[in-house]
Amino acid sequence: MSKFSEKTNGLLNFMELKQAKYRFIYGIMAVVLILLSLVCILPILWVFLSGFKTTSEMYSIPPTFLPSSISIEPVKEIFDKVNFFKYFGNTLMEIVGALVFDLIINGLAGYVLSRIRPKGSAVLETLVFGTMLLPSVSMVPLYMTFVNMPITHVNLTGSFMPLWMQAGCNAFTIMLFRNFFNGIPMDYLEAARIDGCGNLGIFFKIILPLSKPIIVVESIFCVINSWKNFMWPYLILGSTPKETISILLYQVSSGGMSLTMPEVMLVVMLSIIPPGIFYAIFSKQIMGGMNMSGIKG
Amino acid sequence: MKSLEKKKQKRSAAMIFKKNISGWVLILPSVFLLFLIVWRPVGMAFYYSLFRLQGMKAVAFVGLRNFRDVITDTAFLQTVGNTVKYVLWSLVIGMPIPFFAAVMINEMVRGKGYFKFAMYLPVIVPTVATCLIWKMLYLDGEGGLLNALLYFVGIGPANWLSNKTLTIPLVIIASTWQGFGTTLIMYLASLQSVDQNLYEAARVDGTGFWGRFWHILLPHMRGTILLLAMRQIIGVFQITEQPLVMTGGGPNGASMSLGLTNYFYAFQYGQFDKSMALGVISFLFLIGLTFIYFKLDRKFSE
Repeated sequence: MSKFSEKTNGLLNFMELKQAKYRFIYGIMAVVLILLSLVCILPILWVFLSGFKTTSEMYSIPPTFLPSSISIEPVKEIFDKVNFFKYFGNTLMEIVGALVFDLIINGLAGYVLSRIRPKGSAVLETLVFGTMLLPSVSMVPLYMTFVNMPITHVNLTGSFMPLWMQAGCNAFTIMLFRNFFNGIPMDYLEAARIDGCGNLGIFFKIILPLSKPIIVVESIFCVINSWKNFMWPYLILGSTPKETISILLYQVSSGGMSLTMPEVMLVVMLSIIPPGIFYAIFSKQIMGGMNMSGIKG
Repeated sequence: MKSLEKKKQKRSAAMIFKKNISGWVLILPSVFLLFLIVWRPVGMAFYYSLFRLQGMKAVAFVGLRNFRDVITDTAFLQTVGNTVKYVLWSLVIGMPIPFFAAVMINEMVRGKGYFKFAMYLPVIVPTVATCLIWKMLYLDGEGGLLNALLYFVGIGPANWLSNKTLTIPLVIIASTWQGFGTTLIMYLASLQSVDQNLYEAARVDGTGFWGRFWHILLPHMRGTILLLAMRQIIGVFQITEQPLVMTGGGPNGASMSLGLTNYFYAFQYGQFDKSMALGVISFLFLIGLTFIYFKLDRKFSE
């Protein structure tokens, strides 16, 4: 464990922390941070606890924080009322497809811009950079595109395809991959090329195995963002059998399922638990990845 | 001798040609999607906003009439005002919190990991779940957590989201709660690169805590702050999901944003043409803003 006497970096160092004045500043900062972290955690905890309350308990005066009893019964009941497996399954489908599209299409683009650099790369790069700066212009044109695809006139609404395509189209991710691939020594690629490897072979045999860190990070962000994703899944998959967890939450929030308050809390709780577990496992990679990606997220 | 060189040249030319072709083939899916999903819709919006649409078919060229209709709508000025309020509140609430939290976490000897973990936690909560949680925290009457807290202080239940003046800052608090973990981590990364020798030199010169904060830390962070402020302004300017789920634009249009109006035009009233006209207006405004950012950024980095 680190000690005060060893603190050398930052605004305050160990010498100053011996003085009462600076100790005081340090103490205030610690208290503010503790309060702020509680603001982040308590609402989630409140939801978890409220799910086990009875309706009358929720509205009781004086208000209570803890439920009178915690049992598995309410969870069982909510699983009977709401078909969670459907929503979880659909969200999983969305995530898996998004991962494949995200990693392969953006990854290949980053690879081409970093390592193959065909004629016209500069133009391509400008195009990708420009995309990062472009604000969105209403959801309607894209929605029209998905309803009536150019040339083929296929209607993609009601399928996961539009969401997957959007995952495979992220200029930030392309830049992230490109910057990472720039760090892979050219010698490796030359050696493989002499051995008769094609560009695609090099990508799968050399680039991908060397790129585990970036793939892990990008996958984590892709999973979290897909789980959170609401507007487009709602527009594309709303009132079809493929509704995702966010769509369920929206229905619940607009009173669509006629649930009691504690039941609403349980639904929210169940929507947080899977990404919560995911976060608990990967929080280190997420923090590191945020630094790697710079401004993404 | 000469023919050999020619042969070599020919071969390498073929190789370069092959390399170019395979490069283009591999990047084709990406270019196709960028065109289809990002660039083409912008053109479509500009084009179709000049037409009257029936469903998704352009039936008549109407020039700028959609724009006139959108701007002269009785709610338009209020909505623009609300959107500006969203942006201003997000600058007041959403900018300083992650910045100061990052500066303070950076000073901590213990608990850095815990603070980062706790403050990033809301980021993983689904957006709609966040809106639901805060909607319930803000609930009027006895059920809401805020009113429960007020009860312990001895004040009766207050109205929250249904209060016209409070509704926008309350929505911003909820979305700040959700998002500030991301900005926090970026500020922390930027803080890592402060040259510690500068602090040391300042100490030798007798510069105090605030002096070091003001003259070393802040100038170092200026670029990051400007960038994140810019991203926040552009993001909040398009805020849609939070008011949709938390207030539906109410009470009485008091939390109606441009993004939500746009959504309602399209998917509530089926007026795709108006939605695109409004989209074009905000698009042009945001492009202008981005332009100003680059001007500012260049000025600062000089």
